[in-house]
Formats: sequence, structure tokens, C-alpha cells
Amino acid sequence: MNKLTKSLSSFVVPLISILLAFLVGMIIMVCMGKNPADALYFLGFGAFGNAANFGTTLSKATPLIFTSLCACFAYRCGVFNLGGEGQFIMGSVAACYVALRSGITGVPAMILCLAAGMAAGGVWGLVPGVLKITRGQNEMIISIMLNYVATLFMGVVYTNWLRDASVPQTEAVPNETKLPRVLTGMRFTYALVIAIVVGLLIYYFLFWTSGGFKLRAVGINMTASRFNGFPVKRYILTSFIVSGAIAGLGGAAELLGTQFRLINGFGAGYGFDGVAMALIGQLHPIATMVVAVFFAALRTGSMTMQAGTGVPTSVSDIIQALVIVFTVAGMALTKLPQFEQLRYRLRSRKGGNAA
Amino acid sequence: MNTAFIANLILATVRMAIPLLLISLGELYGQRAGMVNIGLEGLAAIGSLVGFLVSFVTGSNWLGLLCGALAGVAVNMIYAFATVTLCADHTVYGMAINIFAPALASFIYRVYFGSGSELSQITLMRGVAIPGLKNIPFFGDLLFNQTPMVYITVAIVIFTAIFFKRTQAGLNYKAVGEHPRAAATLGISVIRVKYLACVICGALAGIGGAYLTTCYSNTYTEGNVAGRGFIALAAVIFGRWTSGGILLACLFFGFCDALQIRLQVGSFGIPYQFFQMIPYIATIVVLTLIGAKQAGPKANGKPYRREQR
Amino acid sequence: MRMEHISKRFGDFYANKDVSLDVRKGEVHTLLGENGAGKSTLMNILIGLYQPTEGKIFLKGREVRIESPSQAVKLGIGMVHQHFMLVEAMTVFDNIVLGDKNHKGIFIDKEARKREILALSEKYGLDVQPDRLITEISVGEQQRVEILKALYHGAELLILDEPSAALTDIEVEGLFEIMNKLISEGKSIIFISHKMREVLRISDRITILRAGEVVTTVNRGEYDGQGLANLMIGRELSASQYEKKDSQAETVIELRGAEFNKESKHNGLNGVNLSVRKGEIVGIAGVDGNGQTQLAQLVTGVIRPDQGEVSLKNSKVAVFDPDNFIREGVTHVPEDRNLQGLIGDMTIADNLVLRTTDKAEFSSGGGLFLKKGRIRNYARQMAKKYDIRCTSVEQDVRSLSGGNQQKVILARELEAGPDLLVAAHPTRGLDIGATRFVHDEMIQARDSGVGILLISADFDEILEMSDRILVIFEGQIMGEYSGKNPPIEEISLAMTGK
Repeated sequence: MNKLTKSLSSFVVPLISILLAFLVGMIIMVCMGKNPADALYFLGFGAFGNAANFGTTLSKATPLIFTSLCACFAYRCGVFNLGGEGQFIMGSVAACYVALRSGITGVPAMILCLAAGMAAGGVWGLVPGVLKITRGQNEMIISIMLNYVATLFMGVVYTNWLRDASVPQTEAVPNETKLPRVLTGMRFTYALVIAIVVGLLIYYFLFWTSGGFKLRAVGINMTASRFNGFPVKRYILTSFIVSGAIAGLGGAAELLGTQFRLINGFGAGYGFDGVAMALIGQLHPIATMVVAVFFAALRTGSMTMQAGTGVPTSVSDIIQALVIVFTVAGMALTKLPQFEQLRYRLRSRKGGNAA
Repeated sequence: MNTAFIANLILATVRMAIPLLLISLGELYGQRAGMVNIGLEGLAAIGSLVGFLVSFVTGSNWLGLLCGALAGVAVNMIYAFATVTLCADHTVYGMAINIFAPALASFIYRVYFGSGSELSQITLMRGVAIPGLKNIPFFGDLLFNQTPMVYITVAIVIFTAIFFKRTQAGLNYKAVGEHPRAAATLGISVIRVKYLACVICGALAGIGGAYLTTCYSNTYTEGNVAGRGFIALAAVIFGRWTSGGILLACLFFGFCDALQIRLQVGSFGIPYQFFQMIPYIATIVVLTLIGAKQAGPKANGKPYRREQR
Repeated sequence: MRMEHISKRFGDFYANKDVSLDVRKGEVHTLLGENGAGKSTLMNILIGLYQPTEGKIFLKGREVRIESPSQAVKLGIGMVHQHFMLVEAMTVFDNIVLGDKNHKGIFIDKEARKREILALSEKYGLDVQPDRLITEISVGEQQRVEILKALYHGAELLILDEPSAALTDIEVEGLFEIMNKLISEGKSIIFISHKMREVLRISDRITILRAGEVVTTVNRGEYDGQGLANLMIGRELSASQYEKKDSQAETVIELRGAEFNKESKHNGLNGVNLSVRKGEIVGIAGVDGNGQTQLAQLVTGVIRPDQGEVSLKNSKVAVFDPDNFIREGVTHVPEDRNLQGLIGDMTIADNLVLRTTDKAEFSSGGGLFLKKGRIRNYARQMAKKYDIRCTSVEQDVRSLSGGNQQKVILARELEAGPDLLVAAHPTRGLDIGATRFVHDEMIQARDSGVGILLISADFDEILEMSDRILVIFEGQIMGEYSGKNPPIEEISLAMTGK
């Protein structure tokens, strides 16, 4: 496969998967006695219809971008970090502490909060990384267990240590420490700008630097990388820490930009969603960001769809889940030898006609 | 510490271990045929919902368990097709199942019950005493006055041990996970065994999920599987890929779970979440202690292509 | 058994083209051919693993369709694969009864079946121990288990795929005895080999395959070894055309008493002393699985010796790490190209500059910004210089043929300007053209002053290339011989431990 057809197929497969998922979604709508055309209209309108809606979509996309970049970066180095959710939560907890307890406000507080979030996420990513390289542990199980630990730890924080009087939630971060909006009238904040900068940095690192090149090599073939003198373990550990730090930064940014306080359900599901988006985006950071915006659009739009047509929002969840189911299967399909043969046959027939 | 406390602890340990054990056995059947399925969490979630829904509608917990198993099988067939036939990566596809199946479960729940309505409840399966054995002092009441699912699960453990150790079919089955090409040259249909493994794995994981709603808690809440699918993966490693070992591993994890609930009641002024962390941290500690000496089936997670050059 | 006009196509490549073959009852019929001549594919068709694209198979005069391995077993065809099909985590007994369909009943009656197995084992002199784990027994015994397994499943026609490749001479003698017993009992054997001496000794008839097609079928005695070799290769085989050198230049690597995992006969090293000078090729001869893998990894820093010293350019190595060895000018053509040498899902260009992306030639700021245009141009130059046949250097290296993959590795390792090149089985699985190319490049490198450690199980390759020959057996160096007029008999004997 040469480069062109390779990038073409990595583009075509998710696209077909999305169409198929929508098709199934529409069939479900018809079965429920709803008009799918109306539903799609409301879905689209809710997500992109006006500046406010589009702003909401982008705001919803922001944490997803962070966790999907987290998954993407780790997987590029060949490790499956399923702990994005825990790292995200620990980042937000650290940021929350700094925001509420440091006594600093304003821009310095923001910077400090984000840094604390990154550090906490990095530490939470370090644990499975260390266990993997020293004990040969399965990083997936460890990182998932740490998700539950993080969620419970956040529970301790908002029900006990930083509890806001009688309500099981923390106080809101001070107004001066909240991340400001980029444009008035649209809900997204500078958190999105940070997310995009992080995405572009990762892209630059992975594809334009020697370190990123080697990291990808390690991700594809650890044995050959070791034989060629790359410090494989160091790359694995670094990728875990960086990946955790990205998620942690996302948690901090989500706290300062959108949620303002820790509360039950904060960050729930973002880790696995991130993995799904990274896979649909073929582990390319920029494609991954686009997928995150698309998923956010489905989520925002589905509210309008429910209000407008009565189609429940969970239909959109099904569509999202189907996209990942179809994409992964589709990518496997294109790698089958039979598929290569089929394409070879098609191409040679085309060649025959031309001659 | 009095006898009542200990008795309660043992009872709770068994009750907590059973769903984990069912799911782990499912994974054992999968991995013995080389199918590493990390989608257990999702399979259990769909099993849990379908089990609840069917019990709710028909009033029969047995039917609920059966349909939970069928739902697990149905979803796992997607996994089977993608990984066996299309040779997709097991881990990646397991994740897809983990995202897809809970989404499907919550969709069905919301469509059926609507959102915001009050919690629906069902009657739990009742315990059945085994005559004779029940009269053994102390243990009799604890171990032989359980729901039938407990006995069935133990029977599955015994059956599994015999199947893999003593039968021709079990030997052939194991060979598929160890060396599929060798199995194929001896006329064992690798593809068929792998699909069969996925059927068994889906069914057991589905029942494990359905147990949670029909025998354990009488309501369905999203996320009620609570990581059991992943702890089950650890239990298979911890149990060294044998059904006896898995039984012990699950009892251990069940004990951790039972202990944390008891400790929560005691409270001691410590936030209850710290106790809830115990099973998860125990999993990490156990995996770390046993280290990388894991020796699973050799061809675990590797795709099998019939005409490979 | 008769196969008529069999063809098998993989994509646009014919592995077998119009092959016909017949095997009589009670004969040893040899399939002779080079690597990649289509022997294994043909046999995989016969045992139902592959389906032929065209052609028919007859057994005892009746046409049969062999659609699955279980059908082949039922028809009495059994195969001993070159890479044994044994489940390592199981016992000999388990492996033999695996997939058994002759016995009814769910449970395995261990005692009864063990008696059957031992009786069968006795009859053919196979001498196996049913209760041992596969990992605990020798390669020779594993092979006997494979033969016994086939017989137990009722094989009348036995296919032995390169059965002697991993055996010592004595074990080969034992194998021939077993084969003689088998044919005297009326079984038929298809023997696959490219070792002329064995072929001439044991075969009744010989069919020669070349590039997927049958060249001819001859009776034993019609041709001598040289004649058969000519038929197999398709041209005259010439003696070593490379000039042997006696280098007196400085030593690049020296091992003194190096030990690694020395209890293991197949995967360890025991008191190895050797040295390689600049400008010479030192050949390590030996049957596969006598510690060559460990030797190659030791001299490239992948593993650390348990005992003993390694010196590079007369200074003792303290840190065993591939990176350290690479910086000292050691490069490596590893034995498993795909696993150890190449990043399959990266492009040819990426693989060529794998270790050099930090250099100013390919990036600015010491790796901060890759100069992709430069990398591409460099890759194109290399593709031309090393005759790498590809449609584009942006092609994934995985999609190349074995020979071209090896050229990518060779280009990377030689362009690094090494002092020592460690080449493990550098031509394994390559066709003649590519093999020739690799050999020429290695000789050229030697003449420009590179020291080369050549590890190969192909004795002819060792003889052809080496200036000095060392023989390895069960992790020990058995002797050292000059590459000029080497004592072939003596070396072959040393390879078997004497």
C-alpha cells in the first residue's frame, strides 16, 4: 500500500462508518415512529445552527479533545492508556485545591491551576507506566482500576474535604480564576484554545521531530526499537506521563472553564470516549480533534433533537457507539489479505479496460 | 468481632464473588481459545439490563437470567465476527464493545422506562436450602442456603475443571489457544472453536451481569457493573487460567468487596469512599505482586488466518 | 497418491504452477528445491491447509477433494512440519491424542491410550516419553513425537518437511532408520529437503521443483549430487568465487569466557572465546539452536553475559545496551528481519534513517525539525545503490519481499559505517539473486575494512564467505578453522559435537 491509498483508506473508513451509524440511527427513529429527517434537522441545528449552539458544541468538545489526545499519544507509543478518566479527574481535583485554597486569584492562579492539573494527571499516568516497565503489568487493567480510585477520591473531596456546606459538591472557583470566553456570545473558553495548541504540539512532535519519530517506532515494534538502541522503557514511561498530563490539563481546564466545581459525575466516561475518538481518528492528533468536535456536536445536537422531536438523546449515544464499532471493524477489513486481493483484481480490471 | 459479623462477612463474600466468578469463567473460556476479550464490562452491562427488563416484564428471574445470557451472546457475536473473521485487534475491539454495549443498555432502559421516572424494582431470587447439608452448624446456613445461582456457578466451576483436564474436547479446545495451527493440522476447526468460545464467554458474562439485577440488587442503575468486567480480567490472570484458581481469586476479590461494605457501616469517621477503593486497590496490588510471570495461553490475542504465508 | 496440474496463486504470485506428482506405496519420494520453490505450499495443499487454485488430487486411484486438515487426517495423510506443530505447554501424551477422532467417549482413558502409544512407539523404534512436557525434551525427540502423532492418527502417507534441518548427524541417522522401518511396513513418505547427501541416500525417486514448477522426476542413481544441484538451481554451481583474506588488522571485538544461561543446550552460551579483526569475515557454523541467537544478541548488546568479558576495540564493555554498542560502531543484521530489524508499518525511507534522524543531515536543531525532503532523497539514493525494488520509498516496508526488506536493513547497517557488522542468517529465505547481492555487499564491506561476524546455519554460506570458521555446538565453540581450503569433514563432525 503506498502512502496515498493508505491515507485515503484511513479517511474513507471512518466516513463510511459514520454514514452507516447514521443509517442505523435513522432506522431506530423510524421504528420509534419518528421522522428521521426532522430529527436530523434538529440535530444539525442544535449543534451548528447558530453561533450560540456552535459555541456550546465547541465547549463540549474541549474536554473530549483533551482525553482523546491523551489516548492518542499513549497508543502511538504502543501502550493502551485506558486511564484518561482518572487522570482527567485527578487533574481537576488538583486544580480545584489550588483555586480554592491557595488564596491566589486571576491569571497567576489560572496558570498555577493548569500546571497543578498537569502534574496530578502526570502522576496518575506514571503509576501504570512504572508498573508496566518494572513488573510487566497489564497497563489496561491497572489504569482502569485507577479510574475508579480517582472517582472515589474526588468523592472524598467533594463530600468531605472541600464540601460546600450541606450540598455534596465543592464551592465554585472564584470568578477571577475562571477561564474567560474567547468570544462573547459563544460558550467556549480559552480552554479550547489550549486544547488546540496541545493537539498541534502533539502533531508537530509526533511527525516532525526525531523524538516523535522514535516514539512511533517504539509503538509499532518494540523489539526492533530495542535492537536499534532506543531506550524503549523510557519512551513508554514518558508516553504514560505525558498522556496523563494531557488528560490532567484537560481536567483542570474543564473545571476552570465550564464546570467550576467538582460534583458527582464530573468527567465520567470521558476516558473511554477519548479512546474511541482516538481510534476513529486513526491516532492522528488533528483527525482526532475533528472527531472530538463531531462527537460533541452529536451530543449538543441531540438535546435539541429530543426537545424538538421527542427522539431521546440516547439515540445519539447509540450512533456514536456504532461509529466506533464500524470503524474498527472496517479498518480490520481493509487489512485482510482477501481485501488486498480484491482491490488488486479491481485495479487490474480497470487497467485492462484502459488498455 | 463476633460470629454474626463473621457470618455476615462470609455470606457477603459469596454473594459478591458469584457475579465476578461468572464473568471470569466466561473470560477463561475465551482466553483458552486465544480470545482476549476486554469487553466483559460491556457484556455484563447489557446482560444486567436485559436480565432486569425481562424479570420486570415477565416476573421470572430465571427467564431474566436466560435472556441476559442471550443478550451477552448477541453482543459478543459482533466481537467474534470482528476479531475472528476480520482479524481486528482484540483489545481495540473489546474497547469498542465496552463503549457500545452500555450505550445500548442505557438506550433500551430509557426507551422502556422513560427518563426521570422513579426506580422500578423487581423481586429478587430467593435462597434454596439444600436439605441435610443445611443443618451443619454455622457453615450449613451460610453455604447451603443460597440462591440456586450460587450452586449453579459452583457446578460450572467443577464442570470447567473436568472439561479442561479430562476430556478430549477440552484438550482440543485448549490447543486452539496455545497453538492454533497445530490444532488445525489435526483437524480441529479453529474458527469454530473460537466462535464457540465467544458464545460461552458472552453467555457467562451476560449471566454475570444479569445476576447483579436478579439476585443481588433489585434495581438497575447505569454503571452497576462497576468495573467487575475488568476485575474479572485480573482474576483470570491471578487464577492462573484454571477454574479452581479463578474461584479462589474471585473469593478473594469478593471478600475485599464484602469487607469494604462492612467497614463502611463501621465508618470510624473515615470517608466511606476510601473503603470503596479497597477492591480496586487490591486488584492493583495483587497484579503487582504476581508480576509478569504470567503464563497465559500462548496464542492469546493473536489473529488466526487460515491461509497465511 | 497422485497430484495433477496443481496451481496455487497468492494475489498475483504463483506459488505452484501446473505441478504433477505421484507417490507409490512403500517409497520415499523426495521433493527437492530451493527455499521458495513451492515445496511447502504444495504440501499444505495436500494436507488441506490451502485450497489449490486449480488441479486434482487422487488417492489410491480415486479423486478426492481435501478441503480441510481433518479430511486429510481421515484420508491417512500426516505431515511433520519443519517448525513442529507441538503445543509446548502440554505433555507428549496430550499432543499425541490431540484431535483424536478414533476414540468414542467424552473422557480420555489415559492408561489405555498410553498403552497404544507405547506399542506404536515400540513398533517403529520411536522411543518417546509420554509424560514429559514438550519443552523438556530434545529437538530429536520432538520430531519423533510428531511422527508418532501422525501414525497414531492413522497416517499411511507421511510428509517430512526438512526433517533434518534441526538435527545432529546422529539424530539424522536415527531418523533414517525410522524412515526405513516405515516404508518396510508399507507406508509412503514424501521427503522434503535440499541436502544433497541425504537425498541421495534415502530417496527412491526425486522430484525437483524450481520457482513453483516441476523441473523433472528422476530415479535414484540417475544423477549425482552435482547434477541434481544444477537441476534445482537451474545453472552450474561454481565454487567459492570470493578471495579469502588473512587479516592482521586490529581486533574490533573480543569475547573471553562469555557465558549466558549456560545450562541450556539450545539457548545458552558456555565459555565462548572469540575475536573478530577489521577486514575479515568470521563465520560461525552450526546447526540451528545451539546458542547462535544468544551469541548474536550478546555481541550487539541486547543481552548481558552472566560471566566473562566482552571488549570492543580493546576496551572492556561495562554497559550492555544496544545503543552503547551502536555508538561503538557495531551494527546488526538480525535473524528475524520483521520482528527485530524493521518497523513494518513505517516506510522504507523511515526505516533507512531509523537511527540517524538526529543528525544534521536529516533534521535541524538535533532532531527538532525533520527534513523530510532530504530523507526522501537519501532513501531514493539508497534504493538505487542497494537495488531495493519498490514503487516508492514512501511504501510501507512490510509490503516488500523478504529480499528487498533485507536490502533495506543492509543499507541501513552498512551506511552507518560500522567497524563490526553482525549478520545472523543474512540470506535465510532469500532467492538466489538477493543472496548473491547480500554476499557481494558483505565482501565489499570486508574489503573496505569492516569486521564481520557471520552466523549462519547454511554451511555452504559459511564455507563460501568466511575467512575464519568457528563451530558452535550446544553453546560452546568446538574449534577454529581457516577459511582457505577448510577441512569440510572435520567441521561437519564438530557441528555434531565431536
